Amino acid sequence: MAVVLFISVFLISACGLIYELIAGALASYLLGDSILQFSTVIGAYLFAMGIGSWLSRFLGKGLVARFITIELMVGLVGGFSSAILFAAFAFTDGFRLLLYVIVTIIGILVGLEIPLLMRILKERFKFGDLVSNVLTFDYLGALGASLLFPIVLVPKLGMVRSAMLFGLVNAGVALWSTYIFRSQLGRLAALRGACAAVILTLGVGMVFADRITEAADNGIYADDVILAKTTKYQRIVLTKWKDDLRLFLSSHLQFSSRDEYRYHEALVHPGLASLGGARHVLVLGGGDGLAVREILKYPQIEAITLVDLDDQMTDLFTKHPVLSGLNLKSLSSPKVKVINADAFPWLEQDRSYYDFVVIDFPDPTNFSLGKLYTTAFYRLVEKHLTRDGLCVVQSTSPLFARSSFWTIAETLKQTGLKTWPYHLYVPSFGEWGFVLAGHGEFQYPVDTLPKGLRFLDAKSLPVMFQFPEDMKPVAVEPNRLNDQVLVRTYDREWRDIAR
Amino acid sequence: MTQMNADNITTNRRQFLSAALAGLSQKGDKQVTGGFVFESQNLGHLIRDRKAFQQPAHREKVPVVIVGGGMAGLSAAWRFGKRGFKDYVLLEMEPDAGGNARWGENEVSRYPWAAHYVPVPNKSSVLVRELFEELGLFRDGRWDERHLCHSPQERLFLHGRWQEGLEPEIAATKNDHDQYKAFEQRIAEFRDSGQFTVPLELKAQLSVLDQINFRDWLKQNKFTSPYLNWYADYSCRDDYGSASEETSAWAGIHYFASREHEEKGPLTWPEGNGWIAKRLIEKAAGHIRKNEMVRRIERAGTSWRVVTSKTIYDADAVVFAAPSFLSSYLIEGGDKFEGFEYSPWLTANLTLDRMPEEKGSELAWDNVIYGSPSLGYVVATHQSVASRINRSVWTYYLPLASEAPAVARKRLLGMDWGTWKEYILNDLERAHPSIRQCVSRIDMFRNGHAMVRPVPGFLGNASRLQAAKGGGGLEFANSDVSGISIFEQAQYRGVLAADRVLRRVGRR
Repeated sequence: MAVVLFISVFLISACGLIYELIAGALASYLLGDSILQFSTVIGAYLFAMGIGSWLSRFLGKGLVARFITIELMVGLVGGFSSAILFAAFAFTDGFRLLLYVIVTIIGILVGLEIPLLMRILKERFKFGDLVSNVLTFDYLGALGASLLFPIVLVPKLGMVRSAMLFGLVNAGVALWSTYIFRSQLGRLAALRGACAAVILTLGVGMVFADRITEAADNGIYADDVILAKTTKYQRIVLTKWKDDLRLFLSSHLQFSSRDEYRYHEALVHPGLASLGGARHVLVLGGGDGLAVREILKYPQIEAITLVDLDDQMTDLFTKHPVLSGLNLKSLSSPKVKVINADAFPWLEQDRSYYDFVVIDFPDPTNFSLGKLYTTAFYRLVEKHLTRDGLCVVQSTSPLFARSSFWTIAETLKQTGLKTWPYHLYVPSFGEWGFVLAGHGEFQYPVDTLPKGLRFLDAKSLPVMFQFPEDMKPVAVEPNRLNDQVLVRTYDREWRDIAR
Repeated sequence: MTQMNADNITTNRRQFLSAALAGLSQKGDKQVTGGFVFESQNLGHLIRDRKAFQQPAHREKVPVVIVGGGMAGLSAAWRFGKRGFKDYVLLEMEPDAGGNARWGENEVSRYPWAAHYVPVPNKSSVLVRELFEELGLFRDGRWDERHLCHSPQERLFLHGRWQEGLEPEIAATKNDHDQYKAFEQRIAEFRDSGQFTVPLELKAQLSVLDQINFRDWLKQNKFTSPYLNWYADYSCRDDYGSASEETSAWAGIHYFASREHEEKGPLTWPEGNGWIAKRLIEKAAGHIRKNEMVRRIERAGTSWRVVTSKTIYDADAVVFAAPSFLSSYLIEGGDKFEGFEYSPWLTANLTLDRMPEEKGSELAWDNVIYGSPSLGYVVATHQSVASRINRSVWTYYLPLASEAPAVARKRLLGMDWGTWKEYILNDLERAHPSIRQCVSRIDMFRNGHAMVRPVPGFLGNASRLQAAKGGGGLEFANSDVSGISIFEQAQYRGVLAADRVLRRVGRR
């Protein structure tokens, strides 16, 4: 009997320490400055325990029932502490306040546990033995918890589940106590019912812990997530803040509806407006249909072929009311043919010629994407261009990734094409660059730009082709399949500026 | 390195653990199918045991017979074609020619069964350049990047994660880095000395470096870094199938010092050197006779009689392109080829229905696991230009280098498919914990005599020098005559034998 009682001490002590560690670790993880977070969390927690110990004197009759109630409360608050804090960080501004409120509540409850238990047990043991045993098991529990937490719990279960697991332990101790002390308890059924309810709640929480984390992750996007979809290829997330829609592919920003017109007008019009006779256009990437929207502003265009890997992406931008509103239902135009395929192999088997090719791929963040920026790929594109045809390549930032930008230009040059690099400012991206390339000559369009553009006009267009001192060309090697220098350069340059 | 024994123990422990965990894993392991391919050991043993056979009734007179359809035999045929000589047959014992460049194909990819790349040839490799230009690999003064190995070329699994490149970086000390640099320096000096060429016959001469093994040479030169020693041993196993202490220091250095790359390579294809073999086979179309095993070769006056399971050929000259040691069983009173050792290899092609999880740098072409007895695996789909690869074939290479070839050969042939399957999956599981949920098929090729070993003293080996000299209308063409089993040597010996034969039959 004595051993069983002291094991309870061991367990509740371990639970108390786990909640403290979780609060400290979560605060460090989400807010940074771990010294400050751990110090204040431990301080607040110990102080709250002191309050609990002091408050214990006001509890008189029915000590066992009160002890069981306290265990259940600790189990519930402690068990859900980590989930609540995660959600608070993702969805509210009140994380810090809530952190200390929760730490204080748990601290007070845990501070009540040991004094109550000692008073319950004082009849059964000599005072000296009791103090000695209770404190011994209390400290042992602390040791167990502090070792378990970093080695097993965080790596295997994560913080949300770990807290719930220990909530279950508290509730278990409560249930167990209804058996050990049944002689001192009235209303046994009600107490056991409460225990069962808490255990059930925590159990359900454990099962759905994944969803809680995921929901909280979504909350980490600054704005409201109005659509989230995981496809075979990427995670598509659409956020909205006032009238600003932002599309993220695998957490990389693709566009903001407030300034995407700058990007897409600059991508399409300098090249296409200079080609009076363009009839056939190919768009590689660009499944959002925004480049196609711009291309459709030329009535003489007869056919647009759009090749994008992800069918769910093109589906969304064809059918979703908000998204197809953004591209003015461009993907439903009878002139547009949407093909879902891997661009490089698709182009290898394609036998058509195009007057204008828009290449709008994600940045070369890895070797798989880097293949789409190689001399081999551009040679293939070159073979599909008509004699006077042009292609334009989204080429990352000439300011933040200057060598990367000029590497893309140099790679295009290697295929024998002439190149005309240019750049503009897109607020949500920063300074951005494109490279126009073709067999023949390129002349700035004067009166062929479509009506109603919001950004480009014939007078300011040539200015984009001027590069100031900090974006001027640098000497670089071309990017080739067998030596993808671009991926390394890009990685280095963006890492240098990322915070 | 004697890692095999240690590995057997870990195999058992892993099997035990994986069995214990099987009940816990959410997704069960996939059912893996497959088997052994090209099981021609029994055919080979017919020759070894000089089993009696029925004398064929059919008789044919043909000026030149090429024995063996590997790279050497096919290169001899290529040379004949270039010289306009058509009066020859090429006899291949297997259902398909190609030898060590044979390849396979399934619904996912083509894949190699042995040799899978050729380094970008130097200017001194005249014949290789001639062939590669003919095959369109070198055009307008530039190597076609489609056929050069795409980035990233190599990665190494070390201390729980993949790193780019094969030079160990993780936990490497300053001393390690200093030694890599010093080693590179020595190699550069050897390269500049001009004695390490491809083909090696251009310059090779007796050398004290050939008197000791590569490991001792490293030790004598104070190269003590365990990482560097691992890399040297790996390189020997990769090119020669033998550990560094079984490899001539001259050959070990040749691996590093013989090439000065004018382009980042190597040249490679999904089906490995099968890409080259296939084109050479097409060029020799009409001359190749498959499933025709040579049973005896006899001298008949100044000419030769080649007896196969189907035909007796009366020939003026023979190009013997099969492994040279076989000639001692086929030719009455033939040379014994003393000191010739051949490495046994296991090659496995694993079909993956999805790509496994992993930690560290991106999947490369050549993926090496540090400390493994295997060489790791090569990805057959690596040369694809697609951005998304969902299914693949991986070629797993295991030279049985840790024990004497005869012992290793016994083990190679003694273990059944299921045991080898576990061995392979356990090895890959270190780097890819979920590999068992990805692999649906494993086909294996057990090659008892995969390649000759350049053991210490091979440069001065009397049988080798005798065979290399040739003469008498029977010319040895296998790369083992050079002592190094690589494509360039096979091609060189094949062409050399063809030229000698052409002189003998009066065509120049």
